[in-house]
Amino acid sequence: MTEIRRILQLARTDFSYFFRTKWLMAVLLSLNLSDMLVIGLVYKGLMTVNYFAFFAPAVVVMGLFMGSMDTGRRIWLAFREGVIQYYLSLPISNLGVVAAYLIAGSLAAMVYSSSLLIVALLVLPAQAVLNTLILLPFFFILAIGLAGIAAALAALASTHGEFFFAYQQLLQVLLLTLSTVYYPQSVMQQYLPSALVTVASANPLSIAAEALRDFVFTGIPIQPFVVVQLIVSSVPFALLGAFAYYKALQKLQIKGKL
Amino acid sequence: MHPIETEKLTKLYGKTKALRELDFTLDEGEIMVLLGPNGSGKTTLLLILSTVLKPTSGKASVMGFDVVNQSTKVRQVLGISFQDARGFWRHKPIEILQFHATICGVPRDKRETLIEEILKDLELWDARGKLFMHLSGGQAKRLEVAKILVQRPKLAIFDEPSSQVDLRGKRIIWDHIRKLREDGSTILVATNEVREAEYLADRITILDKGVKVACNTLQSLKDSIAGGDIVELEFEAKDSKDVAEALGNLEGTFRVTKEEENHLRAYVSMAEEWVPKMTNICYQKGVKVVSVRVTEPSLDDVFLHFTGRALGATAT
Repeated sequence: MTEIRRILQLARTDFSYFFRTKWLMAVLLSLNLSDMLVIGLVYKGLMTVNYFAFFAPAVVVMGLFMGSMDTGRRIWLAFREGVIQYYLSLPISNLGVVAAYLIAGSLAAMVYSSSLLIVALLVLPAQAVLNTLILLPFFFILAIGLAGIAAALAALASTHGEFFFAYQQLLQVLLLTLSTVYYPQSVMQQYLPSALVTVASANPLSIAAEALRDFVFTGIPIQPFVVVQLIVSSVPFALLGAFAYYKALQKLQIKGKL
Repeated sequence: MHPIETEKLTKLYGKTKALRELDFTLDEGEIMVLLGPNGSGKTTLLLILSTVLKPTSGKASVMGFDVVNQSTKVRQVLGISFQDARGFWRHKPIEILQFHATICGVPRDKRETLIEEILKDLELWDARGKLFMHLSGGQAKRLEVAKILVQRPKLAIFDEPSSQVDLRGKRIIWDHIRKLREDGSTILVATNEVREAEYLADRITILDKGVKVACNTLQSLKDSIAGGDIVELEFEAKDSKDVAEALGNLEGTFRVTKEEENHLRAYVSMAEEWVPKMTNICYQKGVKVVSVRVTEPSLDDVFLHFTGRALGATAT
């Protein structure tokens, strides 16, 4: 069995674990669907603009974010339950373990957010189905980046699971507040300094949400520049996360604990 | 080439020395038992050999591969059954074994049959669909052992393979470990259970405070205790004073005590060589021996002899 097949085997096992935590699935789905369907539709009635068309992509991106973040929870569980030591005894390199977690985390996030996207598309039919399919691989790269951040946070939290959830919440507030996921850039420009508006524009979550709005729900042809932006803003996160998780494994091998 | 070779292997946890310049080798096809109390460094050694931990200094190789620089190669030739069973709470035993067998390269055509056979042998078949978090301690431990029995690695490492398992289950596990050796694996077992060590070991290495204090076959370790064998002698005649003196001067006699008028207790080395000599002396002196009872030192005694502490005590 080659290293790549072992990585995929490990990724498959971890991927399946995401969907086994039924209570978590129920919480995530109920939160995201209620956001999308209840709040979106209510706002649609209250506001003159079609807020649902704006809001549905936000929920899909939020689903991608939360699905990816669960990678960190599973890494933390693996540390707590000693499964990481087990993985380190298997015929797979440390880098392979890191890669498997990032692949599994991003795949789980893709499946989860795609299910939200399908729900959104039922209510708000896509203007360009082909654009949706083209965007998916780039969303996968974003998911790897987010899974990387989750891995880094899990490594930082060490064996204290509650720290990981605190870090995740903090990150969520930062990334979502400084983004155009829930409100348009024009609103941000009115209330925030221009530096923060620039940060929000470069935020990969903003880029993903805008891409969904423009290319999927409005049907504007995909602009390569946006896709490049999405990759460029996601890859550093993936590299940082992979490095942090790899270092955490090394620390575990040297100290016997995190 | 030895399947396992360590040279001045040292592991520090902060200021605590878990292993101190350990030189250790394992011969191909043998079952080596590492015996020592909690904290003696057994698990640390096993974790270094299986590349889960890195040594602080010194060298260790498995099947010729360096555990630090060739860790992925090492992982391809060994399997370790951990002291605490490792598994995700929401996975089922059969899935855990399928995953382990697949990633360890057990051929697809043999995988399912082997898993079923091992699950049945270890009495886990009925629990194959339970979640890992719902298994009892004994079941989880048997599952941990089952991984290695399914994998059948060249080098199999077991850390306290039968702890938390009932007596019947222990015997089943031990027989499987022996069978694994018969099928060509080299085996390293760490334990602090005397019966387990006696049942399995071709050779025993005694570890204490991270240091190897003895390594030999069980019989040789017992024989190396001066006066470790106890020979109880009962004579027909009541006056055995002459005999006691003569036996006391025999080679291999540590001391002789008189328990009753016709009852002597001799503390000797290697009773199997001493008893024929004793018989000759009694014959020459015309003393009739009514009964002879030989008691060998237990493994506990061996451990006490080499470390000065009982096996149950924790290393400090």
